[in-house]
Amino acid sequence: MGTYLHIKGSRLWKICAIVILGIVLACCCTQITSVDQPASATAGTTVPITLNINISCNSSGTANFIMGFLAPNGWAPDKNTTVTYHSSKGSGNMVLVPAGTAVPNGHGLTWPQLLKQQFGNAGNLIDDVSWIVYQTDVPITFNNGDLITGTIDIKTKVATDNNNYSVKLAYVVANSSNGITSDGFQTCGPTAEYYNEFIPPSCFEVTGATGDLIDFCNPQLTSVNPPKSLDNDFVTLTFNSNVVTTALAGAPAVYLCATAYTSDGKTITICSPTGKSMMLPTTTTSGLYQLTFWPRSYFGLTSSQTITRMTYFITDQTGAVQVGYGNTSSPFTYTFKCS
Amino acid sequence: MNTLKSIYTVSVVLLLFTWTSCKVEGISPINEPVKDISGSWQVIKATRNGTDLTSLVDFTQFRVNFQSGNYTLVNSLPFIVSQNGTYSLNNPQYPFQIAFTAAGTTPVATSFNYPIVNGKRILTLTFSPGCPQNSYVYTLQKIN
Repeated sequence: MGTYLHIKGSRLWKICAIVILGIVLACCCTQITSVDQPASATAGTTVPITLNINISCNSSGTANFIMGFLAPNGWAPDKNTTVTYHSSKGSGNMVLVPAGTAVPNGHGLTWPQLLKQQFGNAGNLIDDVSWIVYQTDVPITFNNGDLITGTIDIKTKVATDNNNYSVKLAYVVANSSNGITSDGFQTCGPTAEYYNEFIPPSCFEVTGATGDLIDFCNPQLTSVNPPKSLDNDFVTLTFNSNVVTTALAGAPAVYLCATAYTSDGKTITICSPTGKSMMLPTTTTSGLYQLTFWPRSYFGLTSSQTITRMTYFITDQTGAVQVGYGNTSSPFTYTFKCS
Repeated sequence: MNTLKSIYTVSVVLLLFTWTSCKVEGISPINEPVKDISGSWQVIKATRNGTDLTSLVDFTQFRVNFQSGNYTLVNSLPFIVSQNGTYSLNNPQYPFQIAFTAAGTTPVATSFNYPIVNGKRILTLTFSPGCPQNSYVYTLQKIN
């Protein structure tokens, strides 16, 4: 049994106009005009990054201003980052948004979840990065017509896991009233959005670590999932034949030829093209070949042995054609570790 | 007068019948059965960090056998424990945790779900056999 609202046509138009005006005149548009970020850094050092911000407000009110920062999980960025802001409305610290805080108009998602949904991994090819989200420690009061300028200063310790990195860092600014929305009428300065994302055009390089190079930027001939694992995990090794033309082009099947290095100083090589080492295509046209295996069983470890690292080639059915790291004759390397 | 007396007597007798015919119905509480997971269990679904591994790995030979407080693993795969040992539920009637104690080691506990799906009991276990950030969920079904 439905109920009906009795609203006259003229009143309906007025109500609609008020609702639309309410949406249009909601809050402040925030824009990152530029990012001052070094091109590279040494592992373990603290890097300064500055976001230059313009904010234009089309109503009066108060809101916490928000900054999301995308960085590799291996840096533990939520524990190794401090953020401050300096603006024509005052200065202060930015603090982590409390866990579980839902984004306005965000369908119940938290800030990290919504940024992940909206902006993904910002072009990083390995799904081992996270959005960490900060807000001004106090709400900022603004008036209709305010043009606020300022900076957000990030200091983050890079590569605390002692690995080398090539990664796209990314930034999003927003406010706690509007969330990740836009008004659609371009009344809010240079964009119609109440948020703004910035992905620097080049990858940020970290060097000087003793660990592996974790390359989030360039398509890799092979990848291992999960990116961090031990020999008692299931690992999925993928060969991407689309990255570059290799000697395996046109091969009806590809195989894994791998050597495990164990904690007791032994090496175990499994390099026979058999059903066990066969990498199956994910689809007939994908050009991706995968093998999922349990390293402890695959290499036949004893209960007292563990695998510290693995080197490997991708081969054809004869084993005579081998493709290595960067399409060279050097093997790929994977280190079993959790950090 | 006699008629009144008779009516009175009959009424008293009827009242007594009514009184004695009533009895308190004793309703016994239904005891929740003890959860018995004895038997041989097989993986019917497995995920790693949400990715379905069921068709990527051969789980068909892996078994977890529970019997009289002991468990045995057959054709081992990554699991909560890697050696045979004993197990215990935190509550025999309303368990939400199961602890595995491999011989010579300390107990390893994990969440325990024991729902009925399509008329069959299934057992869902969540654990991290390798790196702690890698989470696996095995759904097992009893095969005998």
